[in-house]
Amino acid sequence: MERMYEYWLACLKGIGSERKKQLRERAGSAKALYYIEETEKQVGILVNDSEKQAIGTGRKNWDLKREYEKLEKAGIRMVIKGEKEYPVRMRKLAGMPYALYVKGNLPKEDGMTAAIVGARKCTAYGEVMTLKIAERLVQCGIQIVSGMARGIDGAGHRGALNAGGSTYAVLGCGADICYPREHRGLYEDILKRGGILSELPPGAPPLPQHFPARNRLISALADVVLVMEAREKSGSLITADMALEQGRDVYALPGPINSSLSRGCNQLIRQGAGIITGAEDLPLDLGILQKNSSSGIKKKTEETKIMLETTENMVYSNLDLFAKNQEELLRLTHLAPQELSRALVSLELKGYIEERSKNYYVRREK
Amino acid sequence: MGFYKVVSASMRGIQAELIQVEADVSNGLPMFHMVGYLSSEVKEAAERVRTAIRNAGYTLPAKKVVVNLSPGNVRKRGTAFDLPISIAVLSALDMVPTKRFRNILLIGELGLDGKVRPVDGVLSMVTEAKKRGICACILPKANIKEGALVREMHILGAESLEEICDWAKGNAKLAEENGRANDSIRHVQEKPDIDYSDIQGQEGVKRATLVAVAGHHNLLYIGPPGSGKTMMAKRIPTILPELSWEQSIEVTKIYSAVGMLRGDEPLMTKRPFREVHHTVTRTALVGGGRFPAPGEVTLAHEGVLFLDELAEFQRGVLEGLRQPLEERCVHLVRQQGACWFPADFMLVAAMNPCPCGNYPDLERCICTPTQIQGYLGRISQPFLDRMDICVEAPKVKYEALAGEERTITSEEMRLMVKKARDRQKERFAGSKILTNAQMGREELRTWCHLGRAAECLMRQAYDALQLTARSYHKILKVARTIADLEDADEIEEGHIKEAVAYRMIDKKYWGS
Repeated sequence: MERMYEYWLACLKGIGSERKKQLRERAGSAKALYYIEETEKQVGILVNDSEKQAIGTGRKNWDLKREYEKLEKAGIRMVIKGEKEYPVRMRKLAGMPYALYVKGNLPKEDGMTAAIVGARKCTAYGEVMTLKIAERLVQCGIQIVSGMARGIDGAGHRGALNAGGSTYAVLGCGADICYPREHRGLYEDILKRGGILSELPPGAPPLPQHFPARNRLISALADVVLVMEAREKSGSLITADMALEQGRDVYALPGPINSSLSRGCNQLIRQGAGIITGAEDLPLDLGILQKNSSSGIKKKTEETKIMLETTENMVYSNLDLFAKNQEELLRLTHLAPQELSRALVSLELKGYIEERSKNYYVRREK
Repeated sequence: MGFYKVVSASMRGIQAELIQVEADVSNGLPMFHMVGYLSSEVKEAAERVRTAIRNAGYTLPAKKVVVNLSPGNVRKRGTAFDLPISIAVLSALDMVPTKRFRNILLIGELGLDGKVRPVDGVLSMVTEAKKRGICACILPKANIKEGALVREMHILGAESLEEICDWAKGNAKLAEENGRANDSIRHVQEKPDIDYSDIQGQEGVKRATLVAVAGHHNLLYIGPPGSGKTMMAKRIPTILPELSWEQSIEVTKIYSAVGMLRGDEPLMTKRPFREVHHTVTRTALVGGGRFPAPGEVTLAHEGVLFLDELAEFQRGVLEGLRQPLEERCVHLVRQQGACWFPADFMLVAAMNPCPCGNYPDLERCICTPTQIQGYLGRISQPFLDRMDICVEAPKVKYEALAGEERTITSEEMRLMVKKARDRQKERFAGSKILTNAQMGREELRTWCHLGRAAECLMRQAYDALQLTARSYHKILKVARTIADLEDADEIEEGHIKEAVAYRMIDKKYWGS
């Protein structure tokens, strides 16, 4: 029953997380804080007037039993600052939440953890590279933390799951809410092999102001932060800044220097961030992988030489991971429009290329 | 002195029905009374008729005049009753000989000076009269060319009431026009001032347009602002096939009923192209009103209905298009009775991919993924399902603009369309349909048989691209058209591939 009072305290508004921890230690328990008037009679003055008022309103608008039942029904655990389960990586950092709400598991403390962040609106290049790198990291025993957003985040989780690893998502809403909705499948899959975390109580809606705050948790939970694709002003760069403040290593995936979509990443590299030139880079740097085992990459590129018809071959050779539309391809190949669209559909059905959006095509990396 | 009856006609929607106009003169309090479920413009005819009769040189005696328009349960609308009423009254008063008005259709509005003015819907009325065994009409002179479109009908044109009375007495002649004997249309080949060769580049979009027009398929352009979607659509009339005589008559009837016929050219020889602004109401688009009037879909019958900025249309308005798209006609049920309008049009729509218009160019697009999805979400899936061909019109690159490369012209495209349509006409001879887009399940089975290789490819595409049954049928129809364009009897692999490339975007993956 003590847990009911703990939950009330965790959700109490008007008192900061450090102060909550301090008060709870002084009063002895959350229950003692709930009955603050009685407690103060015994141990003397604990809280100032505004805090007393906050506790008063907090009690009035809170049905202890019902609220706690809701939490239990959602299958969400509460981990409070100072408890044994509270992630070690977060303990020493300032500005960490009083309580974490967890569905599934918390990241393992003994394993290496990498955070993967990047733009929601990403190119095929960013997405494919993220998938590949996440897969490789997981194969090296590294767990992946990200934010389950569209684009890079989703690809990071998906890559980790594809390789059979564990992955954790930190949400900007209650851990019982799947946002964005189209990631419902991903949400379920993450739960099976990892966990969903949030500092917000169940039922909290995904408000815009929640997201920059959750970014600090993503970097806090990780040992290294990988920025896969970021514009000049982007949430991913906020995460990178937080990571540096928290003393984490930052890596960035370079992009074309004329693309505004990768400008943030390229800037990070210029400022001294680690550079990702292949899936093996990070495991090598972290000492998980030895140098000699990297010969596998070259073999793969040779395998990608495929037998295709001449027109198809010509179309394929004009495609890469940056989407090209039909008109550009027409100009590059000098084909008639009907010939081009036939070759494109042919390639698509054979699985060599992918239509990213109507009439925009990219190569599919195998 | 006593009673006389003449025949006139009234419009209901775009259909005409014959109305008996009866006049009775008797002793009693002098009055002019009209009955027969009349709308206000018909009631006002009383004043016009009395004044026109006086100004034509006849004096109405102080008698009780009752005019009845029968059948009495049909709402009478329009101004075409002025002339028949005045003739019925004059005849009932024995002021003109009645012999010549027997079995003759009278239509016309009267001015106060007795002049006969043109009315709407003449073609439908005369056709209806012909069907009912009437073989002569007196029409306003301005309408006689339109009336003469009906075969074997004796058309007389009058300029004033006085003239008709003189003709009845045998003192004068009326302008005569006989219904034409043959069904040929003189297609005037005037060179339009727009042409597909005006557009540099966008060859893929032109090809998609060509295929759509060749098979009468609905077409959706998606692209950023300024990429030439509207330009592309506006040039569709330059490649549309010619109207046949029957189609031409049908379109003319519609335009005549709504009063949009050009006076100098009684027959609509060109396929209509109706561009609709996105502020249009549902009634204006599909037709309706208390007395059902045809909407834009009917005005676009046998032609093109173009909706620019599709995402800006109100959802309810677009949903109203679903039934006409499926059934190729509009059924309106109102208190006054049910109404039917033809609406066999080719739908062409254009829209931006997202609110800022630049998706999927991520360098330029400033919308959030939610906004992008929401933009397409404004159009319901069932509506998108009714588009057969979807093509992206990208931003034109400078190289294409400045290029000297020769592009396909409207004339070349028109000839290709004509050839493909001729093949279709031949194929569907004897059945109700004319084009590939109209094929039903039965026709698909007969005419879209796939060879082994094509069948195998179709199966592969169905699985790999997660097609639905509806899109499968659409791809077959479009592939049939592509095969027709290439003069091929069998649908081959290449045709299927191209048709697959034109499939509708998948909403699920849009913006993610």
